[in-house]
Formats: sequence, structure tokens, C-alpha cells
Amino acid sequence: MTPHFESLDHIKNSYNSRICQIAQERKVGKKIVGTLCLFVPDEIIFAADADRVILCGGKNDTVSIAEQYLPRNICPLVKSSFGSIVNDGCSGVKSCSHFSVIDMIVAENTCDSKKKMYELLGDYIPTYVLDLPQKPDSSEAIKYFLGELNRFKDLMEQLTGNKVTDERLKKEIKSLNEIRQLLHRLYDLRKTDPPLISGLDILKVMQKQYFLSPGEFKKSLLTLIGEVEQVKEDWQHKPRIMISGCPMAGGNTKVSEIIESRGGVIIVEESCTGTRSFWDLVDENKDPMIALAERYIKIPCSCMTPNDRRIDNILELANEFKVDGVVYYTLQFCHGYNIEKYKVQQALKKAGIPMLSIETDYSVSDIEQIGLRVDAFMEMLS
Amino acid sequence: MISVGIDSGSATTKAVLLNSNKIVASAILPTTFDLLSAAENAYTKVLADAGIDKDCVNGVYATGYGRNSIKFADKTISEITAHSMGVYHLYPNVNGIIDIGGQDSKVISTNGGRVTDFLMNDKCAAGTGKFLEYTAKALEVPIEELGRLALASKEPASITSMCTVFAESEVISLRARGFKKEDIAAGLIESIARRVAIMVRQVGLKQNIAFVGGVAKNAGIKVFLEKELGTSLYVLPEPQITGALGAALYCIN
Repeated sequence: MTPHFESLDHIKNSYNSRICQIAQERKVGKKIVGTLCLFVPDEIIFAADADRVILCGGKNDTVSIAEQYLPRNICPLVKSSFGSIVNDGCSGVKSCSHFSVIDMIVAENTCDSKKKMYELLGDYIPTYVLDLPQKPDSSEAIKYFLGELNRFKDLMEQLTGNKVTDERLKKEIKSLNEIRQLLHRLYDLRKTDPPLISGLDILKVMQKQYFLSPGEFKKSLLTLIGEVEQVKEDWQHKPRIMISGCPMAGGNTKVSEIIESRGGVIIVEESCTGTRSFWDLVDENKDPMIALAERYIKIPCSCMTPNDRRIDNILELANEFKVDGVVYYTLQFCHGYNIEKYKVQQALKKAGIPMLSIETDYSVSDIEQIGLRVDAFMEMLS
Repeated sequence: MISVGIDSGSATTKAVLLNSNKIVASAILPTTFDLLSAAENAYTKVLADAGIDKDCVNGVYATGYGRNSIKFADKTISEITAHSMGVYHLYPNVNGIIDIGGQDSKVISTNGGRVTDFLMNDKCAAGTGKFLEYTAKALEVPIEELGRLALASKEPASITSMCTVFAESEVISLRARGFKKEDIAAGLIESIARRVAIMVRQVGLKQNIAFVGGVAKNAGIKVFLEKELGTSLYVLPEPQITGALGAALYCIN
């Protein structure tokens, strides 16, 4: 068992103080942007002196509200997010209050379900969709994406009335790179055997990355790293598990809990609530908009084609973190990650790394079934 | 050394008593709502059949979906590991297992009794014993007869629904269109065989495959599966006990 970290309590309990902070900011005229994806560069939002909160839903409660509008057979993250945003409170379902304190949503066209959901969201909150070129390695892609980021920058200037200067962008790039570097430091502490912090603890940190303000998040990270560095590793080896696949949005800890309560320890997550969010830094020596375009277009999301970058990244991470087995985690109806599973499995097989595939949603109905697979996988690895 | 393995499955509870790697007694009882009492009954039965006193048992290991409810067990293991060990004990050259049980189906790849990969279908009843139970009812034949009936078919009907509920309505519509009973039965079993064969290919099994679980008792299914896979399958005289056997073996080792 890893020890209890006090700074983690602070991160976990930061919800209310963050809401108060946003409410205060709005009182003095600051604009709040809601986002649902890593492809939307925070740097541009902060450079316009706006604030942002992530709107991705990880709770099951609001799924039924969404199903009044959306088909059943789409991903639970899309349904949960939509349900939280449109929840008027009359349903008797409680949803997070930060969904009601945003001025606009900056969305992106990653998967079809999100893209179409955003069209419906536009009826509730002004919603802007950032258009992503989906062949990131083609020569035209970066040019187009740069144009899209410039249009997004104009939009932020219009929303806030503030000019987004290169100087301000550079400052934000530097600040967010510092967070990325801190996350690298935190992840380095998981490379030991046994790791110094559990995967469940890390997940709770990662779920707050795009919710808290960068300043608050940085401060929490620094204290946490200080605490984790003091840990004496005196517990037994457990199978070292990499999670690869879909994000685990705030409120969704189901599969990580199952893995770590059944003998495994998660030491790295190749996901949006893991390495994809911070692995690459933004080049601080280039024109800031070009540097942002280059960094963000390379996020290895399954909406991109081809996405071999992701396979390479998984193999590198497996090697770097000395992974015993990979749990390929997907949400139901997430076609991108579900289809890429085949390629990942082939690559891992070649590398001699066992993989367990888990496709699930936010309900609790399959906990025992997943538990059985995880039990068998742990027995296989030990 | 005397060990007992108990497999608490969704439909039946199995127990195997081993004396130094030799099967002395085995029991198969229906699983009741109270999983623990079904397990206790199976345990008592193997003890009585073997004529061994409880105090002489060195260890009890539990497996199966109800394994965590078996409070008197010393340890639990997953049925995937258990089947792998049990089958290896009986057929050392086997490198793959198909297990079709009451509520799920599994395909396991093994090497020397160790699991190297596995796939499970437990999200719906397609390709499980439940599917057969429902559709046998729609055909008005006892489930034990379904396989034999299917073997009499010359032209199996095509059943395209994977969903148990819809397959039942498909059966009803085939019946209304005048299809023969044996052809519908064959169509149903073919659809299970196809479903399981996909999993077998995904795991990459080719030959030396054992077929276990309650559904393996159904003669027709084995024939259809063998046809679908292009290889013969090992079926034990008592295909339901390999999980319990594996648990008992795990206890010894």
C-alpha cells in the first residue's frame, strides 16, 4: 500500500474553492471557457485573460438525462457531459455546478458523437468548434491547423476584449510547460519498483488538471511531488500495469479501482487523463502560434489517421516504465479507440507484452465481470 | 495431501476432491440463490463419496463467479486459471480451451497449464448456455435433445440474430414460414459455433483445443464447432469439472 498523501486531499477537495474562484472572476468581468478536449490549447485562452474549466463528464447519474436527447448507443462520456450541461435541476439528478458558470464552450471535431452533440449544445451555451485536420502528417495539415488556431485566437479576443499578444502567449506557454515538466517528474516517481504512488492517486490528480487554474494545479503538484519523494518503498512487487485507451473523466475511477484492488498497480496511463495531456512540451524558441500548432496537432488521438505515433508511444512507455501488462481500456461505442485496439494488440504481441482488453461504460453492472478478467490477468502476470 | 476445489458457476456448483493429484470424488449440483449453501452441499457430497473426514482436508480453493461467497475456502482463483490447470492435468498437450458455461463463454490460450491469453464474452447471452436454454424452449424440445436434433438436419436454417431475445423471435418467424424443427435447431447451434469460432481465431488457437463447460455435454455443438474450426476438439467425459479440478490442483501446488 502506498501511503496517504495530504496534498492529495487538498487536490481532491478543491472543487468548491475552484467554483468560488470562478464565481469571483466572473463578478469582475472575466470570461470562463468550457472545454472538452486536449486539442484546445489552454495557452490561447489564458493569453486572452480568460479562465477555463473542463466539462468532460465521468459520472453515470447524468447519462439518463442525456438519453432524452441523444441516442442510447453512443459513448458514456458524451452522454454524461451533455446530461450535466443540460441538467436543469428539476430531474432530481445532481450535477456539478461548474457547468452553469461558463460563458462559452470551445469544442473540437474529434469523434462523430462529440461533433454532433456540440450541435445540440449550441442551443444552451454559445459553442465554437475548432476544426482539426485529421491527417496530421500531411503537408497541408499544419498550415490549416495554424489558421484554425488563429481564428480561435480572434474568437478569444472578441469574447474577452483583450488582445492576445505574442508576449502573453510566450508567458502562458512557459507556464504550462512548467506544469508538463512537473507531471514528468511525478511520473518519474512511478518508474521505481514498486512505484511511489498508486495509479488511483495519480488519476485523481490528472482529473483535476484541466479543472483547476494552472497556478493552483502547479502549487498542488509541487507539494505532492515533495511528499511522494519522501516515500520509502517497503512494499511488495505487484504486476505493473499500463492503461491505454480512452480518457477517465472526473468521477470515473471504476477500472483503476478494480485493477488496484485486485493485486495490480497502475504505473502509467497512455490516455487523455495521462501521458497524452503532457508528454510533449511546446517549443519556447519558436513563433508561439506555430509552436502551439506543431505541438497540439501531434497529440496521438484515435480520431487521427494514420495514428502510428500512438503505437510507437505505447511501446516506448511500456519500455520506459517497465510494464508487465497493458489494460486496453475503452468506453462503449468509442469506435476510434475500439478499432485501434487491433493494431495495439498486434504491436504488443510482437513486443511480448500481454494485453487485457476492457470495454465498459459508467454503470456498475459489470464490475464483477471486469473483476474476473482482471483477476485472471493478474494471475497470468504473476 | 488432500485438497478440494469448488467451482461456483452460474448454473451449477462443482466440487472435486483430490488425493495427491488423483481425483477421488467429484460432484455437480445446481447452484441455488444461496451460493454458499450450494457450495457446502457439493463439499459435503465429495467428502461423503470419498469417505474422508473434513479434518483430513489440507486445503479448499474456490473458483467460479461465486468464488468470493465461498467463505470456507482458503483461497480463490479465477476460473480462467483454474480451467487452464485442470485441462492441462488431463490433457497435457492441449494449448487452447473453449469453455461455454451458463452465462458466459471463454476462449483461453495456454502453455504448459499457464494462461497466455484469453477472451470472454459475458456482456450478453449470445454464445452461452442461456442462449440454448431460451431457444430450446422456443422449439419446445428439452435442452439435452437440441444437439441431437440439430445433427439430423440436412439444411440448417440461417439464424442471423446474435441477441437471445431476438433469436427467439427469429425462431418463431422461421416456424411460421414452415421450417423443420431440426433445421432451426441446427441454425441456432451454427450461430453459436460461429460466434465462438470468432473468439477462437482472435485468440489465435488452431488445434489441440479442449472443449469444457456444461454446453460441451451437448453432442451437436461439438460437431458444429469442429466443422466451423476445422479441427477436432477434446471433450472430457465430465467437461464441467475442470474448473473445480484446477482449483484443487492449484491448492496442492
